[in-house]
Amino acid sequence: MGLGSFCVLIILIATFITWYGNNKALRVNHALGKDLKLPSLPKYYSFYAILWLIIPSIILILTWYIAKPLILDVLVLSFISEDTIKNFSGDPSMLVDRVKSINIERPFPGTDTNLIEAAVYLKKTLERVQTFTFLSILSLGCFLSFIAIKKINPAFRARQIVEKYNVAILLVCSVVAIVTTIGIVFSLIFEALRFFDKIPLFDFLFGLSWSPQMAIREDQVASQGSFGAIPIFAGTLLITIIAMTVAIPVGLTSAIFLSQYSSPMTRSIIKPLLEILAGVPTVVYGFFAAITVGPFLKGLGDVFSLNIASESALAAGSVMGIMIIPFISSLSDDVISAVPQSLKDGSYAMGATKSETVKKVILPAALPGIVGAILLAISRAVGETMIVVMAAGIAANLTANPLEAVTTVTVQIVTLLIGDQEFDSAKTLAAFALGITLFVVTLMLNLFALRIVHKYREKYE
Amino acid sequence: MVSKKKIKVLTKRVSVFYGDKQAIKDVNLEIYENQVTSLIGPSGCGKSTFLRCINRMNDTIDICRITGKVLIDNDDIYKATLDPVLLRARVGMVFQKPNPFPKSIFDNVAYGPQIHGLTNSKEELEDLVVNSLQKAGLFNEVKDRMNESGTSLSGGQQQRLCIARAIAVSPEIILMDEPCSALDPIATAVIEELIDELMQNYTIVIVTHSMQQAARVSQQTAYFHMGNLIEFGETSKIFQNPKNKQTQDYITGRIG
Repeated sequence: MGLGSFCVLIILIATFITWYGNNKALRVNHALGKDLKLPSLPKYYSFYAILWLIIPSIILILTWYIAKPLILDVLVLSFISEDTIKNFSGDPSMLVDRVKSINIERPFPGTDTNLIEAAVYLKKTLERVQTFTFLSILSLGCFLSFIAIKKINPAFRARQIVEKYNVAILLVCSVVAIVTTIGIVFSLIFEALRFFDKIPLFDFLFGLSWSPQMAIREDQVASQGSFGAIPIFAGTLLITIIAMTVAIPVGLTSAIFLSQYSSPMTRSIIKPLLEILAGVPTVVYGFFAAITVGPFLKGLGDVFSLNIASESALAAGSVMGIMIIPFISSLSDDVISAVPQSLKDGSYAMGATKSETVKKVILPAALPGIVGAILLAISRAVGETMIVVMAAGIAANLTANPLEAVTTVTVQIVTLLIGDQEFDSAKTLAAFALGITLFVVTLMLNLFALRIVHKYREKYE
Repeated sequence: MVSKKKIKVLTKRVSVFYGDKQAIKDVNLEIYENQVTSLIGPSGCGKSTFLRCINRMNDTIDICRITGKVLIDNDDIYKATLDPVLLRARVGMVFQKPNPFPKSIFDNVAYGPQIHGLTNSKEELEDLVVNSLQKAGLFNEVKDRMNESGTSLSGGQQQRLCIARAIAVSPEIILMDEPCSALDPIATAVIEELIDELMQNYTIVIVTHSMQQAARVSQQTAYFHMGNLIEFGETSKIFQNPKNKQTQDYITGRIG
């Protein structure tokens, strides 16, 4: 029995329990007569019974999936004969892995028959054990929920308990995202720590030269890699600044236009169009930057006899800015529209013009939200990869000149991890170090943005 | 004081439409200088809409359309050459819910003078702000915290701040749209006293749901019903001896 049929079964059983529990509660109500009634509605009693079916089942299923590999190892090892284990040169756990990887229908020619038998045995037992486990879980759930239904009596307040469980379920769901984030952090931290074993933290954070080529073999001719991330951070900063220089003014003014000046008709056309911009895949922006904007800027530079690289920070940054415009404009549009009409009326009634009202009342009132929007947009820009890969190049130049090629943290991560890599060289591990730096920076930006938004949110009242 | 009645605002056959719906029907009304005129009537009768005709605040609503004439000092305020921005400096307004800007107390009052360029120096502006706060009876309560946000004040203080903000541009007329409806009785009493004082220098039009308030603060009362002006006259006469049956019903609490 697989997980699919288990789910179908449990839904069928749950339906039955709902019906049965409801009926039971109604019958109890009826038997109690006119004056006395159950303290909660019938549906709460059946819901309570279902909780007893579902919660233990979920917990046990999860336990099963965690325990399964361990049980498997023991099973396989016990099946394989002593001789095979003795003859095997490596650790027995490698043997187990080998058994697991055997395709029973078409085993690789020359595979040890003992191992193939083990694999067949493994498959069969696994199926049997799993079916047995699932069925026992189901019967335990049924048993528990029938006890719950038995418990229906006027002294038992199902509603209060169900409400409590509701809160608990909601809490568990919201914790899932947090746990995932923590997991991501840890997966980064361990690899990054290995990197910092090889390269000192100080060299990484403050080194001025980035060239992550390492000799793979002792005898290979290759430079000793250098891992100073400053050029990468500087490139990221440069591109982000260019992007923001494009996105903030354009995004903000279009938000002001849309929320304060445009007629409903114009708004209904422009707003969806702006949102289409947000839906364009970043790769497509990358094409645009590399094929159209980059050469155009280069040509423009030639006219003024400026030497602009065809892959330049300017091209990538400005296209990234365009990508972020809808982000800023729709977030700011929301906060600007949230400024209460009474404030605007107050300003108009003083004889302020529309632009004075926007400048002196609406924007200051919406400023915290706008700053929050900008910070979120910055963390978006910092994390953007595709446009930069395609339009800004991968050369880690330490420069503040927007006309040269630069590279960013995300681009370096991509280039470090592309192709065959060994996972213990500093070159590969550097990607994780960069990743965790990026994570920390964007996390700080987001926290900061949220703080600002929160701090000033209730200021209008 | 009733003897010297100079007409400050005169409306001739004013009608207001929201889209197809007519909110005000042919209202002719005289508002006298340096008196308090109260507009009473059940909710939705158009009294607030009428109030907003006097400083053209209805212009800010897209679907709103006005016919008829509104004259201030015999000058039509809806003529094409008149700038509503300048008009609103002459006709101040205080709203139902106190709406101080999320700025400092000082900046709230300085807002009007700054946008209209009324003062030439920082000292002049400070004097004007202090003066306006004094007139609004708020100065003593806030003199030590002029830099705190206007929104940090209590509801009654906020409303007086809004009054100070309105009088800082020295308007001739102050419109008040249910200025006390969000306030407790004590804050209301303070505002009502203030209205009594302000009357000497300003013409005041107040919309109110409280008939006691209308009786206490106003010299003239207009009763609106369903967009029509039903009865208008001296407050004492309207309350003691209404000519119209509808007015009587409303005042005695039979309807509304």
